[in-house]
Parts: sequence; structure tokens; C-alpha cells
Amino acid sequence: MHLRPDELIDVAEGTRAESSAPHLAECAVCRLQVEELKAMMSAAADVDVPEPSPLFWDHFSARVRQAVDAEGAPRRSFWTWPRVVIPAVSVAVAVLAVAVTLNRGNTSRAVVPLPAVLPAPVAPVASVDLLVDPQTGDDTALTLVAELSSDMDFETAREAGLAARGSAEHAVTHLNGSELRELQRLLQEELARSGA
Amino acid sequence: MRPAERGLADLDERALVEACLSGQTSAFDVIVERHRRSVYLLCYRFVSNHEDASDLSQDVFLRAYRGLRSFRGQSSLATWLYRIGVNVCLNRVSAKKLLSESIEDRQFVDEKAESAPDRLLKDERGARVRAAIAQLPRKQRATLVLRMYHEMSHQEIADVLGSSVGAVKANFFHALSNLKKMLASEVL
Repeated sequence: MHLRPDELIDVAEGTRAESSAPHLAECAVCRLQVEELKAMMSAAADVDVPEPSPLFWDHFSARVRQAVDAEGAPRRSFWTWPRVVIPAVSVAVAVLAVAVTLNRGNTSRAVVPLPAVLPAPVAPVASVDLLVDPQTGDDTALTLVAELSSDMDFETAREAGLAARGSAEHAVTHLNGSELRELQRLLQEELARSGA
Repeated sequence: MRPAERGLADLDERALVEACLSGQTSAFDVIVERHRRSVYLLCYRFVSNHEDASDLSQDVFLRAYRGLRSFRGQSSLATWLYRIGVNVCLNRVSAKKLLSESIEDRQFVDEKAESAPDRLLKDERGARVRAAIAQLPRKQRATLVLRMYHEMSHQEIADVLGSSVGAVKANFFHALSNLKKMLASEVL
């Protein structure tokens, strides 16, 4: 089997020893090809490029400078735009997702009627004061979420999945009428005793 | 070189590119000065005349300047410029018929002291080889020019042409084989 073109090139350039290709010793065709490749390389290498005069280089640099000055500052490459655009789009999508989620919560609260039977003292449990964590007071995002959800009633919270099964909120929202009335009575009694 | 450029001359390629991008256009002058000869010779190998080689070289540097932000330093600046140069040259030579200048048209400095008959013979032989190279298919020509005249490795040529080392060697083989066919009737 004859040597492949890349193998012939390696032998002709001397990067591969002829001895490493035993086929060459017995194949006149491949040997001839190697010799012809060497001859062509030699012929091509013998072609000079005339060196321009030293004055040409000064003139050339001046021409390039003139063209560059007319061009202005290098422009941002198309391929570098994603590095700027992708993070910006990601942030925009994240903000949009938060806004939609919060808005959905407000919308559902608006269409769901407030339970008239809920005892009045229960509402302050979810007041803004309780939601504000002094340690995270500087976190504007958290503050925003706290403010938006501060007046959320139990029904809305339950629908939003915030009142976990087994929690006090979950228990309150699942009381029947008589149980709620009894809870109201107990709370009023407790408030009267504490002087509130 | 102006005083402000003396400091720039000491910078490496990456720092020069950064300087350009930060608004120091004189840093680009240093890049031009370092690479203008090799870029010009590359262009000359493709078009075989001084005027076109000069115009193409200027075009190469202008394109490099425009695309400087896309240079990420993964290859050397020279390889990147060669890549631009090969593209510019191949586009030009396919759009414009090659105009090879006559020996008399040359106004260059000949630094080699050769006898007039020897010089003439060599020039004529060189003109025939150049004409044959100019007729090679584009990738074969680019491979031969980069390998023979710019001493680039097969891997570097593969980087410039966006192909594999195997393809570069195959292109080189076919370029030399075609050259031999075209020059078969010539006495070299």
C-alpha cells in the first residue's frame, strides 16, 4: 500500500525518517513522489520577494495611521455582545418573574372574598412590623417583598401555598363556623383579660 | 519613533492590544511596525505585485484594527494577522485578475550581489513559479505560501485556515503536485 499524502509530505520535509517507512525501500512510485515533492519545494523556495525600499515602510505606516484615524475607536465585536447582553437579559427576566409572581398574588387576593368570620385580632399577626427583620433591613428586595405581602390574608396565603399543612395558619383556615366562633370568643376573652 | 511610543514599544502583544482598546491609537502604530513586513510579504506572495500587495497590507491592518476587540490572545497576533491576510488576499485574487509586474517595473532594493545574467535567469524562473502558484486552488495556494515562505508549522497553518493538520498536509501535497504539472515543460 502506497504512502498517504501526509506521510509523503512528512518524509519529503524530513520530519519523518525514510527508514521509518519500509514501503519506500520497495516502492519506486513513492520514492519518485518524494523526490518530486522535494524538487518542487526547492523550486518554490527559490522565489524571492523583492524587498521594498526603507522609505516605503514609513509611507506605509503613515497610510495605515491615516486610515485608522479616520476609522475612530475600535468597535465592539459582534461576538463580544453576548457577554453584555446575556447578563442584562437574565437580570431583566428575573425581575419580570418576581413582578409577575407578586402581581399574581395581589390579583388572587383581589378576587377572593375576605373571610368575614376571621377574628379581628388575628390580622396583626402578619403585620409589617413582624416581617421586618432588623438584620435584613438594608435588603431592599426583601423589604419590597415584605411590604407587598404584609396585608396578605390567610386565604391568599393558603392559596399561595404559604400556610403549610400542620401550621397554625393552616389550622385556622380549616376551622368550621362553630369552631371559628369559639376561637373568636377565646381570643376576645384573652384580650379583655390582658387589657388590650 | 515618537517619545510617547518608546514606552509602548516595550509592551507585549496583549498589552498593546489593551492599550489600543483603551484609546491609545499610537499602540496600533507599534503593532503595524512589528508586523508590516511579514504582512506585506504574505500579500505579495498572493498578488505578485507591489501596488496590490501594499493596498492589501493596508486593508489587513485596517480590518485588524476594526476587529481588535475580537482578538482574545488564543493565538499570536502574527497568526491572527495572517488569518486576516489570507482571507483578504483570497477574496481579492478571486475578484481581480492577477497582475504580475514585470521585472523592469520593480523599484526595490536588491541587496544580493549577483551577476546580471544570473539575476535575470533567477527572476525569469521565479516569475514562472509565481505564475504557477497563482493558478493553484485557493487553499492549496494559501497552504503553500504559509508553509514555504512564512515557515509556519502545519498546526499554525491549520489554525489560520481553520482546518486540520491532516488537511493542511494533503493541501500541501496537492499544491506541490499541481505545481509540478504546471511547470512540467519548464526547465527549472
